[in-house]
Amino acid sequence: MRRLLLILLVVGIGMAWWLFGRQAAVPVAPLDLGEVLGGVAEAGFERATAARTFHFPKDHGPHPSFRNEWWYFTGNLEDAGQRRFGFQLVFFRNALASGKAAGDSPWRSHQSWMAHFALTDAQDKEFHAFERFSRGAVGLAGAQSEPFSVWLDDWSVIEVDGRWQLQAGEGDLSISLSLLPQRSPVLQGESGLSQKSGDPGNASHYYSIPRLSAEGEIRLGARHHQVRGLAWLDREWSTSALGKDQAGWDWFSLQLSDGSDLMFYRLRKKDGTVDPYSAGSFIQKDGALTRLGPEMVELEVVRYWQSPKGGRYPVHWRLNIPSLQLELEVTPVMENQELDLYVRYWEGAVDVAGKRSGQPIQGRGYLELAGYAK
Amino acid sequence: MVSFPTPLLWKSTLRFYGRHPWQMVLSILGIALGVAVVVAVDLANESARRAFDHSMQAVTGQASHQIIGGPAGLDEAVYVHLRREGLVRDSAPVISAYVQLGDRLLHLLGVDPFAEGQFRKLLDYTDDAEAGDAIRRLLIEPGAVVMSREMASELGLQVGAELSLHASGLAQPALLVGIFDPPPGKAAALQDLLLTDIASAQELLGMVGRLSYIDLRLSQHEPEDRLTDIKAMLPSNARLVSAESRGQAMGQMTRAFRINLTAMSLLALVVGMFLIYNTMSFSVLQRRGLIGNLRVLGVSRTSISGLVLGEGFLIGLIGTLLGLLLGMLLAQELVKLVTRTINDLYFVVQVTGVELSLTGILKAVALGVGATLLAVLVPAWEAGLAPPRMAMNRSRIELKASRLLLPLALAGLALIGLALVLLLPNRSLVLGFGSLFLLMLGFSLLTPAGVVLCSKLAVPLLGRLFGLPGRMAARGVRASLSRTGVAIAALSIAVSATVGVGVMVESFRTSVQHWLASTLQGDIYIAPPLAPGSGSDRRLDAALVAAIEQVPGIAEISRGRPMDVQSAEGITQLFALHMAQQSYAGMELLEGEKERVWAQFDQEQAVIISEPYAYHHRLQAGGLLRLVTDEGEQEFRIAGVYRDYGSDQGVVTMRMSLYRQYWKDDSIFSMGLYLEPGVDVPGMIKQLQALSAGKQVLRIRSNRTLREASIDTFDRTFAITNVLRLLAIGVAFVGILSALMALQLEKARELAILRATGFTPGQVWGLVTTQTGFMGLISGLLAIPLGVMLAALLIFVINRRAFGWSMDIILPGGVLIEALLLALIAALLAGLYPAWKMARVPPAAALREE
Repeated sequence: MRRLLLILLVVGIGMAWWLFGRQAAVPVAPLDLGEVLGGVAEAGFERATAARTFHFPKDHGPHPSFRNEWWYFTGNLEDAGQRRFGFQLVFFRNALASGKAAGDSPWRSHQSWMAHFALTDAQDKEFHAFERFSRGAVGLAGAQSEPFSVWLDDWSVIEVDGRWQLQAGEGDLSISLSLLPQRSPVLQGESGLSQKSGDPGNASHYYSIPRLSAEGEIRLGARHHQVRGLAWLDREWSTSALGKDQAGWDWFSLQLSDGSDLMFYRLRKKDGTVDPYSAGSFIQKDGALTRLGPEMVELEVVRYWQSPKGGRYPVHWRLNIPSLQLELEVTPVMENQELDLYVRYWEGAVDVAGKRSGQPIQGRGYLELAGYAK
Repeated sequence: MVSFPTPLLWKSTLRFYGRHPWQMVLSILGIALGVAVVVAVDLANESARRAFDHSMQAVTGQASHQIIGGPAGLDEAVYVHLRREGLVRDSAPVISAYVQLGDRLLHLLGVDPFAEGQFRKLLDYTDDAEAGDAIRRLLIEPGAVVMSREMASELGLQVGAELSLHASGLAQPALLVGIFDPPPGKAAALQDLLLTDIASAQELLGMVGRLSYIDLRLSQHEPEDRLTDIKAMLPSNARLVSAESRGQAMGQMTRAFRINLTAMSLLALVVGMFLIYNTMSFSVLQRRGLIGNLRVLGVSRTSISGLVLGEGFLIGLIGTLLGLLLGMLLAQELVKLVTRTINDLYFVVQVTGVELSLTGILKAVALGVGATLLAVLVPAWEAGLAPPRMAMNRSRIELKASRLLLPLALAGLALIGLALVLLLPNRSLVLGFGSLFLLMLGFSLLTPAGVVLCSKLAVPLLGRLFGLPGRMAARGVRASLSRTGVAIAALSIAVSATVGVGVMVESFRTSVQHWLASTLQGDIYIAPPLAPGSGSDRRLDAALVAAIEQVPGIAEISRGRPMDVQSAEGITQLFALHMAQQSYAGMELLEGEKERVWAQFDQEQAVIISEPYAYHHRLQAGGLLRLVTDEGEQEFRIAGVYRDYGSDQGVVTMRMSLYRQYWKDDSIFSMGLYLEPGVDVPGMIKQLQALSAGKQVLRIRSNRTLREASIDTFDRTFAITNVLRLLAIGVAFVGILSALMALQLEKARELAILRATGFTPGQVWGLVTTQTGFMGLISGLLAIPLGVMLAALLIFVINRRAFGWSMDIILPGGVLIEALLLALIAALLAGLYPAWKMARVPPAAALREE
């Protein structure tokens, strides 16, 4: 569900901004999610109406018959001196129209791309976020399945000899990682069909690779850090999803020390209640999967962080799943991990501590908070 | 030292001018006209320059550098590479060309909206949803364009309108998908902008795979090695240049043209200065009794001088303010002429209006008031010198004036000498004009001596023709030399300017005609309609070229392809030419021996360069020229220098086969057809028109039509020169009118005595008219040698330095006779009213005056 908003914002309104330029950008008023995402599915696009059979590695590649798609990499890293870093590199694809573009020019394409790159330096309490835009033409941006690659300008994840090489940077700051999946893809929702609201077809195809080993280098100015850690990949494609009454979401992806992984998103309605389509999954070390519904997960905000740009984010949580005997406290590694980009949201590295079946458990993960910016 | 006059003195001034209002009116008019011309030219120049800067800046946006390619544009792979390697994050591809919509020429700008954010802020939408829709359609619909609200309403178009754009003569369908409001302050710069996606631009212009250039934004602190990295990755035909230098190069193109206009406008002001001098010294003379009395009453010399200076200042100020208003009106018309010339010769610029800037106002005030004060200095000094009571009587002044004759003449000669010194070999255009003005000033100082000489010679002649009044007229001119000298000088300066400019234009025109006649050897010329400023997108449709080649009756074909290329000398106009056998004779070589030049041109790695190119870049036959080709920088031998009036920037001509060896471009832009003997030209043109119909809009012109069109452009270019010439004459006319009126009114008593002694009104009328006519004749005669000298200076110095052209001076008898007639008629017309008035005054009234 989660990142859909970003995409649609960019398509609906944001495009004009590219021409305006940043300084002249019309301040985006607090948006009415329902209005923006009350998606009438455009004819010509395929819709996620039923579970499908996934094929890998083919499904790592793009699905242009759907309007939206993303490749969402997040991860927690540390260097030899236990210095903590978090990173996020995400590629969004959005089709401006269905079908193949007409015309002779190779620049002609219906695919628009956006990418976000963020880096958290927990020790120095530094957070950096950048964005890129491009069309999916002449090789500027795109994705393919074999060998797998997704890229926008010089930000990319490219498969080389069975490993995924992740590369992004801006100015004198960059990251370069080698990723190797530790699990086979996990199908979210109902065999990979993730229903987002009541209307049939308001759903996405959704899979995750919750554990990828990561090692490489982070460059911060003159400093170079050899880092290693765990990354998480989320893949989702859809054509329409949100219902009119949905306002935002809180999304957790947590990797726990006992080898289990937890994904849960809570959809918030405009009236402040929890949407019944909120969902998640718990994957044991051996791959056994438990689907989670909103009634199974107790969420409590411990602390809010007030953004200097406006809006209050619940950055510190307690998350209990009684049926799994899981009690977790989710603490951000630093409070200000707000991406102050064209679309403003909070997404950052978190620490996890708690108990599972009475035994102490730790973990790390990522938390995304959308729909709070004012 | 000058002291400030008291209110009492001012009252005397008011009283004086109250009694002689015309005197002040004419002075003010003279200054106003002079200032108006300067202001108008300045405004027209500035407006054109500003319009250019604005549109340049709006289109360049935040770019600090640009990557530009060869004549065919830049391979888009360069941009992709730049992006994928992360060399420059702030970069944007651009396609820029001019297209025709109906009879309007629009600037088609193809951009990538995804890359634009950092560069241009061209659009302003009030409605976000509308904007989102427009931009989405721009991206997905082929041929989709957006335009400004102003343009849309002017053309009566609404969103959804289907347009037919003509690029290179080919009609292309386009669709208006959005209307935007330009951001505040950019409306004028963007009013002719047609914005489209880069994909549509490629398709509309037939530029698939290519870009016009890439905009880059590099910070000032960008390390040098970053630039080196970028340069290293560029293909051999691409260049990294700073955006500023590109804009400057365009501005430089019109510099000489603008300096020439400014110099012409200053001429009008100089003539105006003579007028002021004349009026002010006359007003001093008329008040000589009053001034004598004031001195007796104890008014100091400095106060008297201050009074005259103050008067001059006021007159100058009023004249200047009036001139400002007049100038703004005049500028509305002048700017059209200036813009048309710039569009004809240089690049497309749309000037929407003129607006006076503060610096413009200050400049005009400084010039107008400054010139007036300068002109008043001598009369003010003279007034202060007047001894108490002892009248500055007429005879005394004239005595002094005739004593001054020799020193003045010597000073004049010295100035002329200085003018010649300034001509010593140098290339400065401003020094050239400096010399021109010194020459005129020196000559005007010689004028009184010339007047004396002429009148001495004329006394017996006029006596024989008109009897006593004739002799009196000739002597009178000499007797009141202090008045007539200045009036004659002013008129002869104005007339000589028209002679100089007239001879120059005529010589130029003749040279161009000769050149056209010898260069245009073919019978029929074919080219797409010219869209200035669009370098690479002009070409003849290849299939059509092939079809034309097959038409029977054509003996030989020459083919040309002009384009801009990079060279060590900056942007260079290169002309790739396949010459027909008959074309060789038409090229007039100024340097290099014929056989060798053509042998080198045809077989070696050699080019020929046009005369302006050789002049501007100080190149000669035998030298070397480095050009950036698709194969990297290459050296070419300069085989020869040829005469060419087609471009004041200069052209490098290369044989087509050599061009194609170094540039990946086999398109051609123009064809010259040589028909077999006996083939009918109009019939052939009809046949070719039928052949091209529906494929490409072409200009198919016979040798004669093309020649006429070229001469039309030439005449249009000099239209503004003629206007300025007429204005200078206008100022001189006012000057001579005012001088004559002053002179004749001053002589009222003298004439009254004549009447009293038996002169009839008719005889008085005859006397006055003969005198003014005589003055006009002297002006005309003196103007001719000066005019010819000015013409020589304009042709051999100014034209050469400004544009690099050489030409032969041609003295058309017509222009010289015209000058004489002009001076004579101006003087006679100006004398009409004074003569009529003098003849009418009853002698008793005139005698009673004192």
